[in-house]
Amino acid sequence: MAEIDKDSGIIVTKDLTKVFNGKAVLEKLSIAIEKGKTTVIIGPSGCGKTVFIKHLIALLRPTAGEIFFKGQRIDNLHERDLGKIRMQMGFLFQGGALFDSATVYENILFPVRQHTNISDRRQLDEIVKSKLAVVGLDGYQSYYPANLSGGQKKRVALARAIALNPEVVFYDEPTTGLDPVRSDVINELILKLKKELGITSIAVTHDMTSAYKISDRIVMLHKGKILADGDAEYIKNHPNDTVRQFILGQVSEADVAALRVSGTKFASQFNPKDFEE
Amino acid sequence: MVCLQLSNRQSGYISPVIDLAKYALIGTLVVDVKEKGWVMIVEQIGASTIATVTETGQFARFIWRSAKSSVSSVFRGKTWPLVFTQMLIIGVKSVPVIMVTGAFVGMTLAFQAYDQLAGMGLGEHIGILINLSVVSELGPVLSAVMLSGRVGGALTAELGTMHVTEQIDAISSMGTDPVRYLVAPRILACLLLTPVLIVYADLMGSFGGYAISVWFFKINSQAYWQFTAYGVTLWDVMVGLTKGFFFGAAIAAISCYKGFNCKQGAQGVGQACTEAFVVSFIAILALDFAAAIISKSLYSIFYPIRSLI
Repeated sequence: MAEIDKDSGIIVTKDLTKVFNGKAVLEKLSIAIEKGKTTVIIGPSGCGKTVFIKHLIALLRPTAGEIFFKGQRIDNLHERDLGKIRMQMGFLFQGGALFDSATVYENILFPVRQHTNISDRRQLDEIVKSKLAVVGLDGYQSYYPANLSGGQKKRVALARAIALNPEVVFYDEPTTGLDPVRSDVINELILKLKKELGITSIAVTHDMTSAYKISDRIVMLHKGKILADGDAEYIKNHPNDTVRQFILGQVSEADVAALRVSGTKFASQFNPKDFEE
Repeated sequence: MVCLQLSNRQSGYISPVIDLAKYALIGTLVVDVKEKGWVMIVEQIGASTIATVTETGQFARFIWRSAKSSVSSVFRGKTWPLVFTQMLIIGVKSVPVIMVTGAFVGMTLAFQAYDQLAGMGLGEHIGILINLSVVSELGPVLSAVMLSGRVGGALTAELGTMHVTEQIDAISSMGTDPVRYLVAPRILACLLLTPVLIVYADLMGSFGGYAISVWFFKINSQAYWQFTAYGVTLWDVMVGLTKGFFFGAAIAAISCYKGFNCKQGAQGVGQACTEAFVVSFIAILALDFAAAIISKSLYSIFYPIRSLI
């Protein structure tokens, strides 16, 4: 692989390592993310996918290694200076993370109010309307998050994430917990944002249907390292067993054996009718 | 004199309490040794020492960050609306409960103290005892305890839930410092309004004491107020109110810290609230003790000692 340097992509990590309580979650991860493309990070639950993208927006700080955004090192920046960097990024949290004490309208205006001095009511209305229109929820301005369904919450959260017209959007498990139709709505939205606004997307998911559909590139993480890296076709035909098992959703022989050992017959087997008089 | 008598009487009770505490400590140690052996205990002591030091350091850094952003918020017009919202929630809505606290304190003091004083023929001096206690100790401390329950609990639960549902991360991800947006307004509101709330507690405490002494025990109203005016000085009132700033800041800082660092899940939020209350309570008492020492020594520099009877 070619040597990665800080200008190889819009976001670059070099030897990113994160240790939690003496256990390495990420180990010397080096990756360059291309501008304008959608990169999907896949991997089993608990392999450090979410930890990885939280590093890219500096919500978590690495134990060792460097992270660059547009050639500027961000992992050692002070919280105060990160504000400007983060304005160019949007983050869609797994549960949406909408402020539940505020309406949809206020939620979307939060980043706008924090970073601009727009105070004209009509202009603010227009911003909210256009952002909600992108996610197809115009008219929901006065709703509280508690009154929205899971899919709607994620779409409002997406509208909030793109409120400042960011260049990069991170998606943390965008389709988890949604039914197949709602998942596809989110997939279409991610594609639409890329096509119409040229947004660079980085998504973390274990939903392979979604991964194949939205990705330009798929990276598989396993035990804190990159196990596979390529486009959807390459991943589908990857020779490695672990990768194949993951994308096909199969349990490995060892796991099956472990389940078989314990069995389903218990020494104290009983039926409800055993307790009847 | 009353205080002196009290302390003499109390010293007799203290030694059995200490003995009891010793036995309890030894008891738990013995059980621990039987279960885990000495090595485990040494390990545990080490681990908890490290955890305590780490936590103290984290807390100190959090306080430093919050203090910096609170000061800078004062000069940023943008954060004032947030401070006013918090003032409404923290301050205005606490007034009734603080007034009730104050009134009961005054009334109870009057009731407890009257017969002893009257027996010594000092019944009319009761105003000094009630108002001095209320203004310099009981008003501020009990208001602060009330606030740490009412306000501190709510702050920790709110911020803890926001932390658990990633809303605090969301604020950071949108380029806003969550300490500046969430903590600074709460600390400022608490800091500025606790002394004001103490004024309400003092007012109702004096009124409660007056009501019981004059209306119920039929003490001469003029004598009551004359002795009070002689015994309670502006200094006492100001010391009481000054404590309010420290209590308010401590309650808000501790509660916000516990909320920001709460563990995942419903149990995590509950635990954070409990810890926030307990730590604030102890902080209030410790600060009060420190304030007593400092105010007494300052007073003795400027004024000669006053005999109250």
